[in-house]
This record gives sequence, C-alpha cells and structure tokens, in this order.
Amino acid sequence: MRAAAFRLVSGATGLLFVGAGLALFFAFFAYQQPGSQPALPMGPLGHYFAAFAGCALVGWGGALLAGARDLATGRGIAPMTALALAGLALYRMLGWFMGDYYAWAGDLLRYEAALFLLLALAFVWLRPAPERRIA
Amino acid sequence: MLRWIATLVLVGLFALNLWMPSSPLGRRGNERTVRAHVPAAASWVGQRLPDLAFEDLDGRVVRSADLLGHPLLLVFERSVDW
Repeated sequence: MRAAAFRLVSGATGLLFVGAGLALFFAFFAYQQPGSQPALPMGPLGHYFAAFAGCALVGWGGALLAGARDLATGRGIAPMTALALAGLALYRMLGWFMGDYYAWAGDLLRYEAALFLLLALAFVWLRPAPERRIA
Repeated sequence: MLRWIATLVLVGLFALNLWMPSSPLGRRGNERTVRAHVPAAASWVGQRLPDLAFEDLDGRVVRSADLLGHPLLLVFERSVDW
C-alpha cells in the first residue's frame, strides 16, 4: 500500500516536473523568435534562468519517474526531493508575503507552497523502507 | 528521529503558510504609503509643477520647463522587466 502510494506520488510529481521543465526550456527558444510575445513577464535574463531551471526540472522529474519504477532508487532520492520541495514552498511564501509578485500571481504562490509542502510530507512518510537482503 | 524532525519543520512551514496575513505585507505597505501621502498630494492639485529634470532612454536631459506650451500626460509606473 505504502509502496503503491509512493509510486503514485513520485510518478505524478515526476511527470509534472518533466512537463514544466520542457515548457521552461522551450520558452527560451520561443523567446528568441523576432516579435515574440512571452507568456511570462520575463526579459532575456529571466528566460535564460528559466531555461536553466527547465533543464534541472527535466532531470529531477526523470529521477522521480525512475524512483516510481524502482523503489530502491525512490528511497535514495526521496529525502533530497522533500528538502527541495520545502525550498520551493519557502521562497513562494516569502514572495507572496513581500507582495512583489501579488499583482501577477495573486494567491497562487500560497496555494503552490501548500501543495509543495504536502508533497514534501508525502515523500518523507511514504519513503520506501530499505530492502532486506538474505545473505 | 530525522523523519520526525523533517515532519515538524514541514508542518511548521505549512502552519506559517496558513497563518500569514490575508493580504501580503508589501501590498498593505503600499496601501499605507498611499494613504499616508494622499492628503499631502491633494494639496498639490492646481499648483505649479516643480522644476524637474529627467534623463530619457537616449540619455538626453529633459527639463519640466521644456514641456511647457503643449498638452502633457505624465505616467509613473514601476518597471516589470524581470
């Protein structure tokens, strides 16, 4: 039951991250087209770092998908995934609190922070137990 | 043990996320600033524009005196070029 729940959480999060990562990566190339209208209010520097984050998200999402297939892999990546998810939530909370992003994203940052914290808790508590090996 | 520490931190952050004021600090700060300055600004209506000097995008200095003699719309906005 716990293993199935972990596979579900890890797989869904992995798919989400791969999708978001690809979108950020290709947004950089779309931005280079003459006369392009970026979907997000970012300049050249913003797109540069978004593409960097996109590549990292694809790698992270791929690792989570691997963790969903193989529980030993999932056990290895779950703690750092929980830590990184907490980081994603923390900067969103600060961004929302300071108000600089409110006009653009409203309360979305706060909802995303809650989602990431719940996901982090799931990765902490659903982390697969170590395999028992009989010598 | 580590699992419980992580849980404590995450639940604490979740509670903080729920507990934070219903409107962001910055927005409330802006409202306070505007409210604090509105009475002063109201007293400026009808007054002469002070002598000001700005630099345009090409680096040329534009003085408020240069703008006299024709209709003028001044727009103040915060940059959103991130």
